[in-house]
Amino acid sequence: MILMTAAAFKPSAETAPQSGARLLVSTLERLGVEVVFGYPGGAIMPVYDALAGSKLKHILVRHEQGAAFSADAYARKSGKVGVCMATSGPGATNLVTGIANAMMDSVPIVCITGNVAQGLMGTDAFQEIDILGVTLPIVKHSILVRSAAEVPAAIEEAFHIARSGRPGPVLVDLPKDVQFETTADDYGFSIPNEAPRVDHDAIAAAEAAIRAAKKPLVYIGGGVKIGGATGALRAFVAATGIPQVSTLNALGTIPTDAPGMLGMLGMHGTRAANHAVQDSDLLIVVGARFDDRATGKLAEFAPNARIVHFDIDASEVGKLRSANVAVVGELREGVEALTARMRSGAALNIQAWADDCAGAAKAGAHRYDAPGEGVYAPALLKEISEAAGDDFIAACDVGQHQMWAAMHCRFAKPEAHITSGGLGAMGFGLPAGIGAKLADPSATVVTIAGDGGFMMNIQELATLKRYGIPLKIVLIDNSSLGLVRQWQELFFAENYSEIDLSDNPDFVKVAEAFGIEAFRIDRRDQVSDGIQRLLAADGPCLAHVVIDPRDNVWPLVPPGKSNAEMMEGS
Amino acid sequence: MSNTIHIQIDRADGSLQRLIGLVERRGFHIDGMALADEGAFRRIALTVRGRDSGRCMDNLGRQIDRLFGVRRISNDIIQSEAA
Repeated sequence: MILMTAAAFKPSAETAPQSGARLLVSTLERLGVEVVFGYPGGAIMPVYDALAGSKLKHILVRHEQGAAFSADAYARKSGKVGVCMATSGPGATNLVTGIANAMMDSVPIVCITGNVAQGLMGTDAFQEIDILGVTLPIVKHSILVRSAAEVPAAIEEAFHIARSGRPGPVLVDLPKDVQFETTADDYGFSIPNEAPRVDHDAIAAAEAAIRAAKKPLVYIGGGVKIGGATGALRAFVAATGIPQVSTLNALGTIPTDAPGMLGMLGMHGTRAANHAVQDSDLLIVVGARFDDRATGKLAEFAPNARIVHFDIDASEVGKLRSANVAVVGELREGVEALTARMRSGAALNIQAWADDCAGAAKAGAHRYDAPGEGVYAPALLKEISEAAGDDFIAACDVGQHQMWAAMHCRFAKPEAHITSGGLGAMGFGLPAGIGAKLADPSATVVTIAGDGGFMMNIQELATLKRYGIPLKIVLIDNSSLGLVRQWQELFFAENYSEIDLSDNPDFVKVAEAFGIEAFRIDRRDQVSDGIQRLLAADGPCLAHVVIDPRDNVWPLVPPGKSNAEMMEGS
Repeated sequence: MSNTIHIQIDRADGSLQRLIGLVERRGFHIDGMALADEGAFRRIALTVRGRDSGRCMDNLGRQIDRLFGVRRISNDIIQSEAA
């Protein structure tokens, strides 16, 4: 929490009096913010009044959750801080899932909420919620601003905290009286908590551990992308030849079709990746946190492996698995230092291990010759990612389609794969696609959604239409909650409970009602033409793809089991 | 077994709630707490106990240490267990 005392901050040069709302807008402009996602309401009306004539492009979403998800994806794609805003009470609470999503995946967003005037706070006033209290467990930090003069410092500090060290969401709560209050003061900002410098003794220990290993493996987490260490990690891999596995959020850090990349590990990982982890004698964990979806039964995860753990967040080291070597600090600095040491010594003698891994990857390669005439979603997703090329960006929702996309799409760079990894929030895909497309208008951004998740934020089709955002949507419809259905089939004796969505609306008509081009694909021979039509469309376009509801995601590690116990489908 | 953590933290909206919430969410019982004002700061002695044997005090210390507004935390808690 920030101390907004006169002793801590010094006034800058004398300026004309401005309202707190105007100071907010001018501070966002000064910080280089271009896009803000939001939805107005009573307690934030002074801010919306001040938006008029500003340099900020405000995207009026149709639900505050969409604002938070769009800001999240905008941040992931652009590398900047995403900004969203909402009013007090229900507006603020509607941001909560998006804030939690950013927290779980370490995404820098700043969420600005209006609140009732300070004199009313704590009185159960109309649309009053203690949003600071509500969000305490799911933010990196939060700030309740007490006076207009504190607004610039609060916003600057929020941005700094959001993007520094391990990034995350920061909430700034602005009572309405603060927005109205005028002040000529504009307090400066002091820099807190810098990332620790990498310990070069630890780097030396990491090198020694790698040189002593016979079966080293790089375990890549989403922190590599977040830490700007993608290039450094690629150089390390090129210098050492060590095989790699990736978490869901790290897909594309090493191109998914690169030699040595064994694919995703964990519950829906590849057989080659999971077996390599189990066989490895050294895991070089970079920006990953041993999530249970990645590790399976933790006690049996990589049983023979020593651990070298690189992370900027000291609290992640040893949280779930003790590290034999801990390298805490900026990932890029750490990985570059390690690469330099590896280059200066002899080449590793791990060719037999690398060949074993490559052989397993080849033997376990996915097949796309599924029988029948129905659309085979893995093949469709593979084809669309290849057709879109290196500019392809997938904004995935949550469910079977998400896992199929992770397993079968080609990702050339880490920001090409945007998904709700840690939280697994249905409804993410459509607003995330909007955020990603606004961050990079030249990219081919494709939202990949299921029918369940799509319905959760379907109102954002109106946002697409209003701003003419040429987002492509692949809606994979199995008329059910597919991943839940699959678990009920496998682990609940086929007791299908509340997973039927067969009364979904006609999605083509829905899209058209929003003014968006749409068409249907329900046979395999329509896929290639459909993909071409989707990618060639000038504006937003939706392909409604109907698949067999009995299709499952394979392979699968049953919940609570070791990653060595993978189930294969028919 | 209980441990007492000594923390100096900013006096600011929500700082105490943030600290206590984190300790409880990370799987620790709070057995005792002493709090004293130090101007712009609060000094807190927090006696905590893991809910089960898997709860690591060092890790809790690191979680507390990364909170913004935490100025100091007793060194014996935040020592890294990683070699």
